[in-house]
Amino acid sequence: MKINDNCVGCGQCASFCKKGAIEVKGKARATDACVECGLCIPYCPVKAIEVTA
Amino acid sequence: MKTIVIGAGLGGLLSAARLSKAGHEVEVFERLPITGGRFTNLSYKGFQLSSGAFHMLPNGTGGPLARLLREIGADVDIVRSEMTTIRVPLKKGNSDYVKGFKDISFNDFPSLLSYKDRMKIALLIVSTRKNHPAGSTLQAWIKSQVNDEWLIRFADSFCGWALSLKSDEVPVEEVFEIIENMYRFGGTGVPKGGCKGVIDALEAVILANGGKIHTGQEVSKILVENGKAAGVVAESNKHEADLVISNLGHAATVLLCGEALSGKADAGYLKMLETLQPSAGIKICLAADEPLVGHSGVLLTPYTRRINGINEVTQADPELAPPGKHLTMCHQYVAPENVKNLESEIEMGLVDIKEIFPGKRYEVLLIQSYHDEWPVNRAASGTDPGNETPFSGLYVVGDGAKGKGGIEVEGVALGVVSVMGKILS
Ligand SMILES: Cc1cc2nc3c(=O)[nH]c(=O)nc-3n(C[C@H](O)[C@H](O)[C@H](O)COP(=O)(O)OP(=O)(O)OC[C@H]3O[C@@H](n4cnc5c(N)ncnc54)[C@H](O)[C@@H]3O)c2cc1C
Ligand code: SF4
Ligand code: SF4
Repeated sequence: MKINDNCVGCGQCASFCKKGAIEVKGKARATDACVECGLCIPYCPVKAIEVTA
Repeated sequence: MKTIVIGAGLGGLLSAARLSKAGHEVEVFERLPITGGRFTNLSYKGFQLSSGAFHMLPNGTGGPLARLLREIGADVDIVRSEMTTIRVPLKKGNSDYVKGFKDISFNDFPSLLSYKDRMKIALLIVSTRKNHPAGSTLQAWIKSQVNDEWLIRFADSFCGWALSLKSDEVPVEEVFEIIENMYRFGGTGVPKGGCKGVIDALEAVILANGGKIHTGQEVSKILVENGKAAGVVAESNKHEADLVISNLGHAATVLLCGEALSGKADAGYLKMLETLQPSAGIKICLAADEPLVGHSGVLLTPYTRRINGINEVTQADPELAPPGKHLTMCHQYVAPENVKNLESEIEMGLVDIKEIFPGKRYEVLLIQSYHDEWPVNRAASGTDPGNETPFSGLYVVGDGAKGKGGIEVEGVALGVVSVMGKILS
């Protein structure tokens, strides 16, 4: 998955990721722990998380 | 009467609960998989963080939100905060906490002024209750009355904490409405269970009255017929209604009305929308074994670079953290020009926290920032444009349409009360 410029850094995705794979500081960033499960995507309030092909 | 509510944030759920109780057939459409918007809990490492708010009701048990919850029959237990304190340097004139500090009570703020200015403040406290000052910003008004740097710092930390604004952005009228409401309703409180305690109670009322709440359903259009709201389109399905209440703020609501809005007839409304400014802020969530604040109210921190105030919600509800732990949350205002520099804003906040809590051990759990589409406040306090739209049967609720003098969720509640008055009268 990819986090685009819409991200405000609210951390909502980080609380739903079961792998602890999102770090947030002004913007969210997926770490190497991300397994591309896509679970976090619908929880973003500003549609900043995109599926990568 | 069929009412559709767009968005299951606090304003949307309050409206849905009130109307379902009054016998309306209510349906709520929420885009996210969860309800509550910026007023619910996020579980993180065993702590109940939040999607926005500091788990705090500005006017506690006696405020507009608490009253509306009682009227609705929503079962929420609100814990009254013990006090509000202000951390000040030990020696007046020091500009930070590095050489020591003490905490004074909120009401003792004049004690840091000269004798002459204390007298002046005492007189102003009496005279302004009858005649509220008007026509300038809070900061300009303070400067015109008492020239003391401390008062500006105090005003900035209060406005930063409560409104995520600076004292030179807030109309003095709005601040005096807020002060009046503090006299009228009382100070802060924390709902048991945090924000979600309120959201769960509202949902229980809606469901008990036969209302429906759909999550994961985005509204893409508001249907308008002959200048009147007629329903919505959600996930390609048309839903008809007699009334539509939008929890999205005026600008996003209008976008859903599409071509129904006539540029000419509604020019004034559209122009007003352009002036609305959401306010931005950063919340830094801390975990600690020992209390950092030590009471259930707000600690204002006027002598920092960025942090305006801090609360420790586990003092009111220990269940918001794992056993034996404290959850302490720090708020900082972000100026519009600094939204693009969030990382350096956060760094300054983190240095502030070290200076506010020297020698204390804590862990930074999560740093959350809010601006633009997902802000602290959709309409900066004092600029709210009311709840009506150019279309009959379409109302806006939430923090983009707050009532006068209502801080944050209290303003959301006042706005909802005003809409309910129009609909149910
Ligand atoms: C960091 C921070 C700290 C705060 N601290 C406090 C505090 O301590 N005390 C306090 O009183 N207030 C506080 N606030 C403010 C308070 O959280 C908000 O004012 C309040 O939650 C806003 O509620 P709302 O009714 O405007 O709805 P929102 O929370 O904005 O909810 C709107 C809902 O609509 C949904 N939605 C959006 N578009 C669509 C669509 N097209 N279709 C369907 N659904 C849609 C959204 O997903 C969302 O769930 C704070 C806010 C922040 C960000
Ligand atoms: S895709 Fe899955 S693993 Fe990756 S950040 Fe999102 S929730 Fe976590
Ligand atoms: S939920 Fe969305 S906006 Fe919030 S931090 Fe995650 S990607 Fe960014």
